[in-house]
Amino acid sequence: MAKSFARSPGYNPENLPTLERYVQMQAAENTYDIEANLAVLKLYQFNPGYFQTEIASLILLKALTNLPHTDFILCKCLIDTNRLNELPVSKILELSELLETCDFERFWAETRDDPDLISSIVGFEDSIRKFICHVVAATFQSIEMEKLQQVLGHVTPMVAAQWVNKYGWTTQSNGMIFVSNQEESIKTKNITEKITFDSVAAIMSSSR
Amino acid sequence: MWANAEMDADYDYVGYYGGGGGGGSGGGGGHDYDGSHTGDPRQDMEYERQFQSSYIVPEVIKNFLVFFQKSVNDQNLFEVQNCYENGFNKLTDRFFKNTPWPEADVIAPIVGNDGIFLILYKELYYRHVYARVQSGPSLEQRFESYYNYCNLFNYILNADGPVPLELPNQWLWDIIDEFIYQFQSFSQYRSKVSKKSEDEIEVLRTNPKIWNVHSVLNVLHSLVEKSNINRQLEIYASGGDPDSVSGEFGQNSLYKMLGYFSLIGLLRLHSLLGDYYQALKVLENIDFHKKNLYSRVPSCQITTFYYVGFAYMMMRRYQDAIRTFANILLYIQRTKQMFQNRAQLYDQITKNNDKMYTMLAICLVLHPMRIDESVHSHLREKYADKQLRMQKCDMAEFEQCFSFACPKFLSPVPPNFDMMTDTFHKEPFKLQLRVFLEEVAQQIQIPTIRSYLKLYTTLPIAKLAAFMEVTEEALRTQLMCFKHKMKNLVWTKGTSCLEGEFQSASEVDFYVDGNMIHIADTKVARRYGDFFIRQIHKFEEITRNLQQTAVAAK
Repeated sequence: MAKSFARSPGYNPENLPTLERYVQMQAAENTYDIEANLAVLKLYQFNPGYFQTEIASLILLKALTNLPHTDFILCKCLIDTNRLNELPVSKILELSELLETCDFERFWAETRDDPDLISSIVGFEDSIRKFICHVVAATFQSIEMEKLQQVLGHVTPMVAAQWVNKYGWTTQSNGMIFVSNQEESIKTKNITEKITFDSVAAIMSSSR
Repeated sequence: MWANAEMDADYDYVGYYGGGGGGGSGGGGGHDYDGSHTGDPRQDMEYERQFQSSYIVPEVIKNFLVFFQKSVNDQNLFEVQNCYENGFNKLTDRFFKNTPWPEADVIAPIVGNDGIFLILYKELYYRHVYARVQSGPSLEQRFESYYNYCNLFNYILNADGPVPLELPNQWLWDIIDEFIYQFQSFSQYRSKVSKKSEDEIEVLRTNPKIWNVHSVLNVLHSLVEKSNINRQLEIYASGGDPDSVSGEFGQNSLYKMLGYFSLIGLLRLHSLLGDYYQALKVLENIDFHKKNLYSRVPSCQITTFYYVGFAYMMMRRYQDAIRTFANILLYIQRTKQMFQNRAQLYDQITKNNDKMYTMLAICLVLHPMRIDESVHSHLREKYADKQLRMQKCDMAEFEQCFSFACPKFLSPVPPNFDMMTDTFHKEPFKLQLRVFLEEVAQQIQIPTIRSYLKLYTTLPIAKLAAFMEVTEEALRTQLMCFKHKMKNLVWTKGTSCLEGEFQSASEVDFYVDGNMIHIADTKVARRYGDFFIRQIHKFEEITRNLQQTAVAAK
């Protein structure tokens, strides 16, 4: 449904109610449709009188659940500066800032202090944990179990173990989690010159 | 009087007509223009003054217009292109360097009130006003030009079958390009509310439909639909024959090219409105990695790559942005000489060249990676200072570079004329700048970390934390941020620019094992072998030439 709308030159605000309901559905059912959501923001951009803060907030929060994709940036570019500075959108921008700088400790602290902000998005916290694991997997060959619990939001060892299993990491005896053998992919590369026979053949033949 | 002025050797349109005098038959109203020359210059001038403005159209211009018109009506593509690219520009330089061409009403009798030709003439007329006339277009001219475009597009789109018109691709691209440019110009003009008189504001207020964003979008979408260009591109990309799906209009070159150029127009328009996703999405059937028939107009290619690169940059797909910019900058390097004699085009290309180098400089600071040597050396030459400042976290430099290189963003809505603010017209730009700078600020520590990492193969976290004067905890956060930001979505296959996989290809990479950072650097050895081989070949050639000259001299 969203695909055909995005292509249509309608930009008709009468389509908004349907699309807005769809946004709410995504929030409730833990589904995600970037194109439909951008279409809503575009309609708001073209028809500022129709802007609905609640819907825009849902869209931005859903964008965070798709990290590390840069959907959040795409959304920001379509929202008027005045609207970006209003609550709760401004608060959501702060959350985005914390996640993008991987300041997970403070992120979890913020959401603990203001649970209502994210409560309307089903599965929000787990989506963020997925992103956090993506970052952990990229950065660490091994990490302390405690630190993992910390970045996942001060979860219990049991919950952390679930995430370890999910990504096929292994728990070691010394309290470390072995993430992956980074050595294999992250190696110093020496790009040396390859001189092929063909390139010198011409010279060799003429120097006889 | 003017007939014996120097005639361009390659343009003997007077010869074509065998002497002076107008070609077209006069319209109604009882004046037969051709043949009415009494031979007495003063009487002729009097006559002309009665029926037109006081401007007297020089003979050479009249002949040009008649020839131009005939070429268009004969669908003589070669001659039309010649008139468009050479004739018109040469006459402009000679007679209308900074002034408008004669108004359409003035030249209408010369071309027998040929409706279609007059529309095309007006397209050139207004484009020239925008480009060369000092004061730019008046509000009325902006409106008139808009109506003219409407007439042109209505003519093309509302016909039962393809219209009998053949225009060179360069002109078709210029029409779309200019159409959007004039919309852009009008939007910005309209937004600068504070400097306007009450009358002007009233005119703007009561004409919301003129240069309305929906009309512009509508035109572009209609041209895309009419030509079936998306289906054609899809089939072409998979190796099939576009003609099999093009339909009657799509097979016609005019429609097909306008359809393609409209896609690029949409890329640009969406970018100007800050919608980078849609901008790239409209191109999803165009395979940029294959040489395609559509990409023969250089300014179209350059515009395309500029906006694609910019969209990638804003989406933090630095690797794709860098690849895109390097690609087109190399292309410009190789083809720039061809445009030496087309001043306006050359200037435009040079400007875009500079903008893209600036963006490339930004991207390489944020995401260092290897690029083509000749592009890299030019970058080192001209942009090293800027890059150095950006590497030292100079946000002002980032701002300056972005402001120089970015497109002229627009808002799709007209201003509220009752609430005049001085800065309304800058709002769209300020929003995009804010988004960009916030992204840069999030990455601001990364170049510093990178410079430390380059010095070691292993480095304890504690030590690096001490260098950076932060806690270990804070450093871990920054290291994770480094990894997160350096893992870009990178295009790997398929036609859609939006597709991609997460990859990390930055020069300096690392991983953390417990408390130790292990660093991987990419070292490129100097290419001695290649250098020697090239020099040897060069000397051999010189020796050969000398020997030949010696033999010849005997």
